[in-house]
Amino acid sequence: MEQKIIQIQNNFLEKIQKAKSLKELDEYFLALFGKTGEITLLPKEFPKLSKEKRKQIGPLFNQTKQKLEKAIQLQRNKVREESYKKLETEKFTLQPQESQGKKRQGHLHPVTKLENEIVELFTKLGFKQYNAHHIDTEGYNFELLNIPQGHPARDLWDTLYIDTSNVKTTPGELLLKTHTSNAQIRIMREFKPPIRMMSIDRCFRYENVDARHEHTLDQFEIVYIDKGVNMANLQYLSEYFFKGILGKDIKARLRPKYYPFVEPGAGVDGLCIFCKGKGCKVCGGVGWLELAGAGMIHPTVLKNGGIDPSIYSGIAWGAGPERMAMLKYGVKDIRSFKNGDLKFLEKF
Amino acid sequence: MKVSISWLKELIDLKVPVEKLIKLLPLRTIGLKSTDENFFELDMKGYNRADLLSMRGVAREVSAIADSPASFKPVNFEFKTQRLCEIPVEIESKELAPVYCLVKIENLKVKPSSPEWIKKLTDSGIRSINNVADITNLAMIEFGQPMHAFDAEKVKGKIKVKTARKDEQITTLDGKIRNLNEKDLLITDEAGPIGIAGIMGEKMSEISSSTTTILLEAAIFKPIPIRKSAQRLGLHSESSKRFQHGLTKTNLLQALSSAIKMYEALGGKLTAITLKGNLADEVKTIKLTQQKVNSLIGIAISSKQIESFLTALGFKLTSRSSDGNAVWDVAVPYWRLDIEIEEDLIEEVARMYGYEKIPAKTLDTNIPDHTQNPLFGLLDALKKALVMQGLTEVETYSYYSTQVIKNLKLKVENLIRVANPISAETEYLRNNLWPNLLEVAAKNIRNNIKDIAIFEIGKVYAPRKENLPKENYHLSIALSNGTDNPIQELNQIYKAVLKHLQGEEVQLHSGVEQKEQNETKYFHPTRFKSLGKADWMAEIHPRFVNKFGVDQRVSVLEIDIEATMPQ
Repeated sequence: MEQKIIQIQNNFLEKIQKAKSLKELDEYFLALFGKTGEITLLPKEFPKLSKEKRKQIGPLFNQTKQKLEKAIQLQRNKVREESYKKLETEKFTLQPQESQGKKRQGHLHPVTKLENEIVELFTKLGFKQYNAHHIDTEGYNFELLNIPQGHPARDLWDTLYIDTSNVKTTPGELLLKTHTSNAQIRIMREFKPPIRMMSIDRCFRYENVDARHEHTLDQFEIVYIDKGVNMANLQYLSEYFFKGILGKDIKARLRPKYYPFVEPGAGVDGLCIFCKGKGCKVCGGVGWLELAGAGMIHPTVLKNGGIDPSIYSGIAWGAGPERMAMLKYGVKDIRSFKNGDLKFLEKF
Repeated sequence: MKVSISWLKELIDLKVPVEKLIKLLPLRTIGLKSTDENFFELDMKGYNRADLLSMRGVAREVSAIADSPASFKPVNFEFKTQRLCEIPVEIESKELAPVYCLVKIENLKVKPSSPEWIKKLTDSGIRSINNVADITNLAMIEFGQPMHAFDAEKVKGKIKVKTARKDEQITTLDGKIRNLNEKDLLITDEAGPIGIAGIMGEKMSEISSSTTTILLEAAIFKPIPIRKSAQRLGLHSESSKRFQHGLTKTNLLQALSSAIKMYEALGGKLTAITLKGNLADEVKTIKLTQQKVNSLIGIAISSKQIESFLTALGFKLTSRSSDGNAVWDVAVPYWRLDIEIEEDLIEEVARMYGYEKIPAKTLDTNIPDHTQNPLFGLLDALKKALVMQGLTEVETYSYYSTQVIKNLKLKVENLIRVANPISAETEYLRNNLWPNLLEVAAKNIRNNIKDIAIFEIGKVYAPRKENLPKENYHLSIALSNGTDNPIQELNQIYKAVLKHLQGEEVQLHSGVEQKEQNETKYFHPTRFKSLGKADWMAEIHPRFVNKFGVDQRVSVLEIDIEATMPQ
């Protein structure tokens, strides 16, 4: 037995050290560690040995196994490094070759597809896209939106802060935006009413990831400010969105909901797209799905944006495109959107 | 807040079936987290309705939305305090502790609570301890006012409400030693801390089976410091939650009176009392106009309806004018701390009317003439052109994974760092897209997809000294087609995209044809092409590709899209 092991070792070590290609090394690896590899098969003979013999053979076997594995690894690196030296001589040629006529089928990301639909829908109503910061201040993300420090509503947004030790700002002042509402004040300050702007952008939360939770999520939000804007318009916009994106029969239903930057505030339900209101597993039997958050922009927020709340009123309306995409395309795991798995992405 | 259904029925004469109430609450008041035959739980996360953290508050609300008369009466404070002695209490800061009440009750005997009490507590999600301790929780749940009972024999000398010293320690009721700092508010006796104000009591002065005399505390502490201490100590409790949401003096006195009466019913005797601070709630009055109600909701609601909705919720209306456009002075009930402005009252009217009954009204045709930011049109056109060329769009996180940082030996000091990352995977923000695309390409190759043609358009981030950090949209492509020279096809694709974009407001460089001096170790020694400014395409050095467990050749391209746009 000892002899057999030593023989395998010597035989293969020599071959491995002489190997000139990765392919060769792969072959040796299989010959040793594959299903019927010599090393793989050895332990099957151990039960035939006496107890004492086994005590001797065990450590020897392990040593040999490790030695061979390491040798293959080392030689692989050596072969690679050798081949890297040859890279210098490889030409930089951009001339196409005959063979490169093959055509692939390209795919937009499913969330992009859905967002394009949303943008198109709201462009028809005169809304324009706003380019907002991802990294923003406490002020724009919270305080100017009527969410002061220590406000219980801060529990709604678990926030990721930026390390400011090498910038001028004070610690805790910069953060990754937790919602697209960070654009509201800038929009109000940059444009005069009437205002119809939208922001569709990446937001960040301190959240542990699972099939239903993500720390990086898109949001879609509109800011609509004019004289006489009201909750009946909010109902209209909610229906316009759901019918345009989820289907003509998806009604919208408003419910009271508290967000510090709107008053009155509303949660927006859409008729469950699976059971159409009858009640099913997805909607928990209620027939409706909570799909958006909205409200009449709080007068303090309008004032902070330089708009007189005694003349103008406004609507803020926001929803999560990923969640919509999950419903619309039947995606079960929210993580599929950002893990780059082409088997998933090429379905769309 | 877990609402006991049987307890609720003690407080109001519920005129609708419970199933109907459970459907009505989310439409009129607040969403529900869960329900069963004994309780329903209100989803209070982030909510501002402090009054709904009490059974009486919930009963008032249900009474209004379900048209069911309340059967409870206010509890009057009717103890003859002048005959009692005072417990010495010193308040260091009236700002941090505006109200502090302490009563001494003697002659108690600790026993298990009655089954009725145990059910009330269990329905409310609170464990029964013993009759003496349970009263504090029952009063808290009923009135929303947290209370704490100390064993009076374990408390020595004068009680002080003051902030902790640096490095002071306390052993809390749960047996854990907590490190305090100057921001934590404490209740102390001569010997040291006997409780963290509003958060948790101390172990030594806890009610035990031999307790006969207690000091019962009911106080109002400033909410923000309590919230901060609770957060820092990781001690969110039923009590700290209520302090954070805000308390009222009227409720405090009612809760205290009710608790004293319950102790008296157990044979206890009130022997000393201290009431510190102003004990009267301010009455807020807000002007409300019918015209504003109707313009903000968008429908016509009669003045009679408005009056009846608000009156049902406990508001008192005084009419100022009633010709066509009614105007009222509305007095806010003491328990509605969340009502501050006219819009708050309008929300009350809207929800009593029923949000779901508000009809849809189209927007008017007053379309503004904001100019469209050309960036978004360009991003859209680029994505479509890339897909036409057979590429698949991917999205990756805005962070570099630990694998990317390690394999590419990235210098993290050049990256923006998250101060409180969820894990090491979300600590550093990306300053290019290609490393993430390389990671994705390798992952797919390992997953047996050998032909990779992907792109991402997204923001990258870089620190800078002034204002906000720099963040720009980049485009990156990764191509690995099984050949030994994938940059060749990448270049073809890039040229086709350029052709496609003719007419767009973008100045993409067609590239310098000859080999550029290529300093960076990440790339193939000869296969690198500058595309002007900081843009380039290259083959990734196989050594780095291999770090991701793959031996296939991969080429990438990286373009700062915003830098290519005319300023």
